[in-house]
Amino acid sequence: MNEIGINDDTLTLYYYRDGLTAAERARVQAALERDVALRERYEQLCADLGGLAAPEPVPAAPDAVARWHDSIERAARIEHQRATPGKRAFHLPSFTWGAAVAAALVVGIGIGSYLSGNQVPEPSINDGVAGNELPAPASPSATFARGLAVHLQESRQELAGLPIEASSERAMLLTHMIQQNRMFERAAVENGSQDLARVLRAFEPILVRLAAEDISPQDAEALQAQLAFELNVVLTKYRRNASEDAGPI
Amino acid sequence: MVAVLERGALPTQAEFHEAISNRSDRWFSACLRITHSRELAEDAVQEALLAAWNKRHQFHGDSSLETWIHRIAVNAALQLIRKQRPGIFEPLEPDEAESADSPEDDVANHDVGDTLAAALRHLTEIERVCFILRHMEQWKLKEIANEVGTNEGRVKQALFRGVKKLRVKLVDMRSQ
Repeated sequence: MNEIGINDDTLTLYYYRDGLTAAERARVQAALERDVALRERYEQLCADLGGLAAPEPVPAAPDAVARWHDSIERAARIEHQRATPGKRAFHLPSFTWGAAVAAALVVGIGIGSYLSGNQVPEPSINDGVAGNELPAPASPSATFARGLAVHLQESRQELAGLPIEASSERAMLLTHMIQQNRMFERAAVENGSQDLARVLRAFEPILVRLAAEDISPQDAEALQAQLAFELNVVLTKYRRNASEDAGPI
Repeated sequence: MVAVLERGALPTQAEFHEAISNRSDRWFSACLRITHSRELAEDAVQEALLAAWNKRHQFHGDSSLETWIHRIAVNAALQLIRKQRPGIFEPLEPDEAESADSPEDDVANHDVGDTLAAALRHLTEIERVCFILRHMEQWKLKEIANEVGTNEGRVKQALFRGVKKLRVKLVDMRSQ
């Protein structure tokens, strides 16, 4: 510290033009003008800091850049799907879809019998329920049933395409799946369909475990297979109900 | 080269792709300097891009789209290291020993590969981050304090210590 109380810390703030009041800056300015030794110290500080330029950018890995481009593509696609519900309303990450389903439930759809009273058959992973075409909705309850079926179906498809390695994309997809699942579960509870709510609730711990950052690829693969199987069971049930009963499911 | 498209009220998808093509190395480098991890830096850029896309209605053109995303990426990098290494920005005693380098640090420093990167190895995390944000990213001290989750006085102290260490190390390196 020199005789007028200006040390290198103050000079550092003066250099960055930050952290000093206008009065403090004026005091440093005046001191620099009259104190040669202080000015020399400041010039050395400027030279040192001025030489610390940001290094040349490090090239990002090509696959990372490709992933960044892809993330924008996906985000734009999801947004487009949300904006055009009539063409493909039920994409998994779409909150619009969830809101539409919830609205349908509010008008009083009876879904309590969805899973009640029938024994669930043992399905095959490769049976025909994964087809993309589902019956067109004929009533509010059919709309809900179709939405639920698509939710389960696309959940299974998303799971099949889920990256095995932990990544932000994987976490984002799983978070959306959990949120969607909760939305359906809440709607089921509010409408008195405890069986359906219980089935949906059972999916969540698996999804949460899948979303864990520290899950091993082997565990993730096993959990995804388990979840795909259970989704298949419910989808098989849905299909059977739909073919047996054209009325409320 | 991506054609210049008609600009509407919001940045377009094409403009995002063009920004990625032109500037993602700089975003990645800034995040790498902060995180010292290629994986975290890549994740930070990814999160920043998604956040920027989802919040692009908040982009008013005060800066370029690239600069806006750069800022979001640096924020994402800070959040990631805070999440992954809780307590990383806790205040340190001024005479605390320099942090040991991990193999990951070696990789990151090799990537950055210059005298400054070598000197930065001798700073603690908070000193390094405060110096990088103030000196290279031109953040204000208050902004750094807000994002790091501390107060301006601690940011100043970290900056002072960082600058002192860097100057000493650079003198040593030049004399060798």
